[in-house]
Amino acid sequence: MVSIKTYESDYENQWCPGCGNFGILSAIKDALVKLDLTPDKVLIISGIGQAAKTPHFLKCNTFHGLHGRALPVATGAKMANHRLNILVNSGDGDCYGEGGNHFMHAIRRNLDITLLAHNNKVYGLTKGQASPTADLGMVTKQQQAGVTSESFNPLAVAISLGAGFVARGFAGNTEHLSNLIQAGFRHKGFSLIDILQPCVSFNSVNTYDWYKKRVYDLNAKAKHRTEDFTAAITAARVWGDKIPIGIFYRKEIPTFTDQIPALKKRPLIAKVYSQKRLQALLSEQ
Amino acid sequence: MKIDISIKIGGEAGQGIQTVGQLLALVCQAGMYVMAVNDFESRIRGGRSFFQVRISDRPVQAPDHRIHLLVAMDDKTVQTHAAEMVPGGIILMEKGAGPNKKAVSVPFIELAKQAGARITSNTVAVGACLALLGAPFSIMKRILSEQFSQKSRDILEKNIKAAELGFGAVKGTSFKWAFSWKKTRPRGILMEGSKAVALGAMAGDCRVGAFYPMSPATSIMAHLASFAGQCPVVVEQAEDEIAAVNMVIGAAFAGARAMTATSGGGFSLMVEGLGLAAITETPIVIVNAQRPGPATGLPTRTAQADLHFVIRASQDEFPRFVFAPGTPEEAYDMTARAFNLSEKYQVPAIVLVDQYFNDSLFTIEKPLAAPRNIERSIVGDKDMKDPGAYQRFAITPSGVSPRALPCKGKALVVVSSDEHREDGHISETISDRVRMVDKRQAKWPAMLSEMRPPQGYHGDSDILLIGWGSTKGAIQEAVDGLREKGLDAGSLHFTDLWPFPDSAVKTALQKKKKIIMVEQNTTAQLGQLIRQQTGLDFSGAILKYDGRPFYPKEIIEGVQKKM
Ligand SMILES: Cc1ncc(C[n+]2csc(CCOP(=O)(O)OP(=O)(O)O)c2C)c(N)n1
Ligand code: SF4
Repeated sequence: MVSIKTYESDYENQWCPGCGNFGILSAIKDALVKLDLTPDKVLIISGIGQAAKTPHFLKCNTFHGLHGRALPVATGAKMANHRLNILVNSGDGDCYGEGGNHFMHAIRRNLDITLLAHNNKVYGLTKGQASPTADLGMVTKQQQAGVTSESFNPLAVAISLGAGFVARGFAGNTEHLSNLIQAGFRHKGFSLIDILQPCVSFNSVNTYDWYKKRVYDLNAKAKHRTEDFTAAITAARVWGDKIPIGIFYRKEIPTFTDQIPALKKRPLIAKVYSQKRLQALLSEQ
Repeated sequence: MKIDISIKIGGEAGQGIQTVGQLLALVCQAGMYVMAVNDFESRIRGGRSFFQVRISDRPVQAPDHRIHLLVAMDDKTVQTHAAEMVPGGIILMEKGAGPNKKAVSVPFIELAKQAGARITSNTVAVGACLALLGAPFSIMKRILSEQFSQKSRDILEKNIKAAELGFGAVKGTSFKWAFSWKKTRPRGILMEGSKAVALGAMAGDCRVGAFYPMSPATSIMAHLASFAGQCPVVVEQAEDEIAAVNMVIGAAFAGARAMTATSGGGFSLMVEGLGLAAITETPIVIVNAQRPGPATGLPTRTAQADLHFVIRASQDEFPRFVFAPGTPEEAYDMTARAFNLSEKYQVPAIVLVDQYFNDSLFTIEKPLAAPRNIERSIVGDKDMKDPGAYQRFAITPSGVSPRALPCKGKALVVVSSDEHREDGHISETISDRVRMVDKRQAKWPAMLSEMRPPQGYHGDSDILLIGWGSTKGAIQEAVDGLREKGLDAGSLHFTDLWPFPDSAVKTALQKKKKIIMVEQNTTAQLGQLIRQQTGLDFSGAILKYDGRPFYPKEIIEGVQKKM
């Protein structure tokens, strides 16, 4: 039987005490246990940043790559073995800044993975610069007169690009977050879970308390229809006194690897080399 | 060499220059050795473009500077290329007379219309060329039937008619270099360098390709993608080169052999990924099809100026393989080797080709052979005493750790681009940093032992021309030319460049009177490398960096000037 202990890594955690990442980490463990997945069935891929260190604090297969580049690594891994269960952990800088182009194209491909974007609105590991999701006017050491660009809206972008599963979680509500992760994992295709993550060291605005006063469960009263594209976009644009969390949009569409004829029967890595087949190809030239 | 004829077909891009050239090359391949270069501008329509076919009764691996027959699909071709013609050469042109040259008017378009389709003007031109060369029409007919086998009967018949009309149009014109066509069996196959690289990847059991289009590398990936119906390979067009190399790394990490192909600008974007492959010890193959740069440079021209770049690319130090094939056969063999060695040592491998090599057609005489089996260097749970204790970066004397794949067993695979411990988790301790660097660097000696020494051609001569990669054919032909002129000349050609085969090079170069580098860059990069690795200096260099391939004549004249 899998239990939380199964996923416990003896590697020393390196996050600041009180960081929102801890809530996300326990939600991941809880979700993996509830999904009844053993560590050898899970591959976690990440980029660079505090969020991207998550796989080290878990016990499973891990690829901790370059800043912004987790999604292309996941794409390649899926091409080689589309049966892999892949969870991508990324920060908002990692995913929407350095990796913005890959974010867009992983959605277009409908890569069958679950992306957890730890959204703390700052660059944590490089000490507090504004990230693409920082709110207009947010003051940091680097942006002393306040951020002058509009905040990037990952949910609205993902929905408009046709992502099949778009959700928002909150690091302060691990039970809800665990449920989202499980739903995202079960969804066949690209699932984005943007996670509101307080950074106790560099973001003094968007704190636990700030969020707790504002977040509400979008799906609680069953008024929000997750198959309604327009409603999803509308909900994704809500930010301020009220902040919705939950599943914004859901739709099953053919995945990236579903559409590759060569992968119909079995993964590429399970196919055997055949001298005869290659010789036939060579003779044809 | 009794027969050695060069035909140049020139015109605007979009006029089907390549079609004429390729058809001609295919027909002449019946019994002859053929090689052809493709010269074009980076535009889709207009601009100057030519295809130059060399036909010989002896193997030829380089273009000749002399033109015997010029097919001018437009007037500008005559102005641009008439000066390259040998005395007695013939220009085939729409109408009018060439400047002081023997010109024969062939109304390509008019005859094509007579054949029933204006677009067959190319075939008219091929027919006329072959008539001048004394070819029997039957060969032309056979090749056309093969070429148009997928198309309708009507198209085939129109083309045969067009060829016949072209044949008839030059009746009575005698051509000094016409020869008797006896053998009609094709001499091997004609192949572009880019296809040889792609086939080599298949021989290296490449399963995943990812790329972002960039001349002159795109054709490699296009060939690879075209094999997908027959072999287990999947090719994805990435959103950029950074994605491409990271996809390749992801695929390789998950267990599929994988490659990307790009040119210098794209390689620049891939450099951080190269480092990722190195520190995570993930085997990948990157083909860099060189073109002149920096930045965008000359997109459709050739160069050999990325040698130092690829050897040193990335921050910090780590082992890698660098190969540069000189012929399509070598490209086939070497690309497969790049996959095998990259996996064996868990290091990145780079294959350097260039535009000239990729876009030229060469005669491959011997059939390419598929390897019997592929030796994988991967472990599974059954190879371990305790899969639970598996460490991806376990220290070994060879520096190579047993490589398990993620989600293929109980052994958990943990890798990080951060410096790490044996179990793959991040570590900043002095001892882990030093141990990991030492482990990676420990691979060098065994990697070096895999490297093939440079190939000598009259290698004991006093004067040695030294080159690498695609200039092999031109250099060896220049050696023949110099020897005919009574000079004791030979050559030494490098295909295996990094790790650098120091001691073999030292032995080959000692006591040579004159060492002359022949390279397509401005600083004799290989010459500098030889000096760095062996302490031996070169005495001169013949360098060409105008974006066009070497003609043997240029090398011969360059050497004579230095005597
Ligand atoms: C190519 C590259 N550029 C910059 C960096 C430096 N860097 C490391 S983490 C980081 C930002 C991390 O921010 P985010 O992704 O939001 O994650 P967080 O640390 O906040 O969880 C940056 C810019 C890097 N490692 N690589
Ligand atoms: S800097 Fe912020 S995001 Fe990073 S660990 Fe500390 S609290 Fe968490």
